[in-house]
Amino acid sequence: MLKITNLHAKVGDKAILKGLNLTVKPGEVHAIMGPNGSGKSTLSYVLAGRPGYTVTEGAAEYDGKDLLAMDPEIRAREGVFLAFQYPVEIPGVSNKYFLKAAYNSLRKHRGEPEMDAGAFLKFIKEKAKSVEMDPAFLNRSVNEGFSGGEKKRNEILQLATLEPKLAILDETDSGLDIDALKIVAEGVNKMRGPKRAFVVVTHYQRLLDYIVPDFVHVLSGGRIIKSGGKELALELEKKGYSWIEDSGSVPKAAA
Amino acid sequence: MIKEAIAGQKEGWRFTPGEALTGPHFAPAGMPAAQPPLGGRVLCPVGFHRAALVNGRWESKHALLKLPAGVSVESLAQANEPATAVSADLPLAAVAANSKDGIVVRVGRHVRVDKPIHLIHLAESSGKTAEAANARVRIVLEAGASAEIVEEYVSFGDAPFWTNVRSQVVLSEGASLKHYRVVRQGTQGRLTNALELELGSRSRYESHVFNLSGLFAREDVRALMAGEGAEAHLNGLALLSGSQFADHHTVVEHAAVGGNTRELYKAVLDDKSRFVFDGLIHVKPGAQKTDAQVYNKNLLLSEDAKVNTNPEFKILADDVSCKHGGAVGQMSQEALFYLRSRGIGDEAARRLLVYAFGSEMIERVGLEPLRAALTDALHGLTPEAAEDKK
Repeated sequence: MLKITNLHAKVGDKAILKGLNLTVKPGEVHAIMGPNGSGKSTLSYVLAGRPGYTVTEGAAEYDGKDLLAMDPEIRAREGVFLAFQYPVEIPGVSNKYFLKAAYNSLRKHRGEPEMDAGAFLKFIKEKAKSVEMDPAFLNRSVNEGFSGGEKKRNEILQLATLEPKLAILDETDSGLDIDALKIVAEGVNKMRGPKRAFVVVTHYQRLLDYIVPDFVHVLSGGRIIKSGGKELALELEKKGYSWIEDSGSVPKAAA
Repeated sequence: MIKEAIAGQKEGWRFTPGEALTGPHFAPAGMPAAQPPLGGRVLCPVGFHRAALVNGRWESKHALLKLPAGVSVESLAQANEPATAVSADLPLAAVAANSKDGIVVRVGRHVRVDKPIHLIHLAESSGKTAEAANARVRIVLEAGASAEIVEEYVSFGDAPFWTNVRSQVVLSEGASLKHYRVVRQGTQGRLTNALELELGSRSRYESHVFNLSGLFAREDVRALMAGEGAEAHLNGLALLSGSQFADHHTVVEHAAVGGNTRELYKAVLDDKSRFVFDGLIHVKPGAQKTDAQVYNKNLLLSEDAKVNTNPEFKILADDVSCKHGGAVGQMSQEALFYLRSRGIGDEAARRLLVYAFGSEMIERVGLEPLRAALTDALHGLTPEAAEDKK
């Protein structure tokens, strides 16, 4: 589903990703762990197509297509979803309108008829219930004045609504207390399935107690320096990142 | 005469492209030969009370007036309104003050007008030559009276037309007026409006002005907060593109205790359009407990668009609360990317963000049919976003 080969990227003039390799198959959940500044968020943004993040070398193939050649909205319509670490507040745009516009743009892309306002409202209320969100949030401006937990829940609501094939969760656990974390994780777990893949980017192992990954990769200095199963996350939790960074593992191990 | 008048107003006209008014040779507009019906050409429904000026003259054909007792809406020429002195810094108002016709609205003591009153300033151009029309509007609400008035300045076509209006609003003690003004002009339409307000004790004036189209529009508001506890709410939204220009100059003079002013003007500018905001709050000695806020926020969609903003205070009392701010910003790239990352196309996302910026001003419009009409007018700008607001 996703094949990243020798990816190099810079933000402004600063090189961040320096030869990253990663292959994700349908149904798999991959955790990307790493210390601050290792390039985790850059990887998320590069995959989602954020302007200002420039790929200088390498490739990312998604469903056999060149992901990096697509505009951000096309990636979304093709089934790529990024749950933001810092969801953006948009005063003046109601959450339900935003969700409807997004949902219908995906339907239109698939050649399906757009859903009208009434039908969508019913549909989105059900979705809100499934992520335990108060429907009052649907009428508020997108993320405006939401608490950290409410913003993350709103990201999961979008995930549940847009039903992507590839979901990238960027530090979804940051700023969440344990109850909010459980709700968010449960929302994600409900979405797991044989046709959908997840890339879970996180600094801490904590989230992975609730979203149990199939693979864990350690990102450091812009490359994946170690890959393993879910037990690797536990080891990292115990020993810290310096253990791997010092051990001199070769990056090729992840290829 | 116009040239000299504008040239004499250096300070207040510094950023105003006065050549839009002094360039063409404007001939006085006569009455048009044919008078097509208004249907479809104005925003408000026929359910409102209605009066119209065509090229500055009362046109009874367009009037729909079944007024309740205590309310009158008349031709100014017929009402024999005496001329009143014009402040020296409103040179165009002095020109309009000599006009022969206009509209006078009077609402008697404690009368609440049953329906909104729609006043139409219609420019019917004869064709290609530049024409101009002057008019006066006088609105008087006696003690405790209340009304909603919608003024619409409309012109069509591509011939230069300049509508110059002097407006006066007098609110007696406890009176309340909601005053909407919508500017919808042709590509070469010019509008200048000098609006003088006098607010009595505990009166409330609420204004919403929308610049939707036209080449040039300038409004000068002079508000005198004459009575204790008077309230003025001045709201404005300008949607500008091409080489359009809009200018709002407001001077609010607090001359009594406990006055309250809230100003918020917003502008969206594309292409080479320009916007000027100059908002002065003048708190006179003794006008204690004045509470005033003046804000102007602008969204630039193009590098060639330009804004001059100048919210300002002159405070000569010591127990007051005054805040002001001017902001000029571009579209948030973060918000744009967020929308696009959810599948919303670049163009639709931009329109949505423009709508989000302007919708606050539409939401403040309490008059439902007008609000719907304004939403529809914005529809052309942001067709999808409008659907949700209905």
